[in-house]
Amino acid sequence: MLNGRDEANPPRRREVTDLYATVLEVVKHYHGAARITRVSYGAGMPVDRLRNFVDRLLALGLLTSDELDGRPVYDITPRGQEFLDTYWKMRGYVEVLERGPRDERPNRRR
Amino acid sequence: MTETRVPRGSTVRLGAVDGDLRADGHVRIEVDGRLAVSGNARFEGDAEIEGDLECRSLDADDGTVRVKGSLRASDVVHARDAAIEVGGEFRAHRADIDRRLRVTGPATADEFEVGGVLDGGNTLTARRVSVGGKLRLVGKLTAEGVEAGGSVDIADVEIDSLEAGGLIRLNGGTVRRSIEVGGRFVADAPLAFGSLEAGGLAELKGDGKGGAIDVGGVFTARGNLTFTSLKVGGMGSIGGSGEGESVEVGGKFDVHGGLRLTRALDVGGFVSIREELRADRLELGGALSARRAVFSSDADVGGRVQTVEGLKAERLVLRRKARASGPLVGGSVELEDKARAEDVYGTSVDLGEKAEARRVFAARVRIRADARVDEVTFTETAEIDPAAHLRSPPRRVEALPVFPL
Repeated sequence: MLNGRDEANPPRRREVTDLYATVLEVVKHYHGAARITRVSYGAGMPVDRLRNFVDRLLALGLLTSDELDGRPVYDITPRGQEFLDTYWKMRGYVEVLERGPRDERPNRRR
Repeated sequence: MTETRVPRGSTVRLGAVDGDLRADGHVRIEVDGRLAVSGNARFEGDAEIEGDLECRSLDADDGTVRVKGSLRASDVVHARDAAIEVGGEFRAHRADIDRRLRVTGPATADEFEVGGVLDGGNTLTARRVSVGGKLRLVGKLTAEGVEAGGSVDIADVEIDSLEAGGLIRLNGGTVRRSIEVGGRFVADAPLAFGSLEAGGLAELKGDGKGGAIDVGGVFTARGNLTFTSLKVGGMGSIGGSGEGESVEVGGKFDVHGGLRLTRALDVGGFVSIREELRADRLELGGALSARRAVFSSDADVGGRVQTVEGLKAERLVLRRKARASGPLVGGSVELEDKARAEDVYGTSVDLGEKAEARRVFAARVRIRADARVDEVTFTETAEIDPAAHLRSPPRRVEALPVFPL
């Protein structure tokens, strides 16, 4: 879900860490009212598989759960946001390192 | 109000429906010109409409509704655990879709709220667009606010604000207020923006013109860049020239043209400016190289500075053990203990203990113990510690040579 088109950098396979980040980003999008089905559609992940990810994120304190209209809803915690900040910063560096020095030249025509 | 029912698994032919339409799962509706429903059209499961559909509102539940023509609803299109696919134009007051909305033609609504994927093959016009997962659009996006939990992949934009959790990739256009992206931001063509905040990596492939830029990791502008403030946590580069108020970089920063700032350049790591650097002041923890660097007030160099034509500031300090190659020009110039420079020009020049310079030209000169200088030329005073090492005696002249820069 978080891999976009890029002719020079084809989408890479999603690792488990990417999936955790995806779930956190989708939960964050709903500002404390993220239902499991909505997160499932947003993250592109079936609900049964998603539940395992959500349970793990809850156990690690990266997500918190509450009830809204008798149904569980999820929200990201400050610790979850910290994970996302670190994850994206690291992804930025990794992408630059994987491109190689030639691609770093400014104004290079693609 | 009357209700027209389409039984499960059936194929029917309809034109105008007075009242509501209710279709069970796996239905196919052939259309005389267009299917016009004066009330609500409700689909329980999969449905195919073989032409245009017009209705007051549409509800879909647990399935995919495929409209081969255009879909126009004066009120809400709501899909609960369902997807909507439209072959032509989409027009509604509001779209609230749990799974996926795919539109081949232009899409217009006051609000699009999609849980999974919004996939547009043409333009999209709305006041607000909110997508839980992925937003893809081939044509121009015109809106006030656009938000996505996962990624945004769009062509030209004309919007107020854009926010995505993971990735934003767009062609170019205008984002009048803010762009916020958790992860990676890429603009393939010139972009104007109010502010840009990216958690990981931001890349402008065309020229950029905007306000505050704040990137957590890596920032690349391949063309020219105009900004107010630029703050990069890790690495930054500008392929053309940069112009703005201030730059703050934690790591490495390269500019292949010139850089002109009305306020400060603050770099913790390494800066390289291929052409001229002009700013109000410099705070340098690491290393700076430029063809020439001119600061209208202070330059504070903690590491190493290298210029071809020189570095000029009203007040210039080389901190302890700092190094400068290329002329230094003040104002007042201070080399702290063990700092090392080549030629130094100033109104006043002060060399700390064990500092080294090649030639010093100043009105007032002070050389402390164990400092080393090849030549000292002054017009007013020269205070030389007896323990300083001068290769030739200080020379008093009527007028100093013209300073560089």
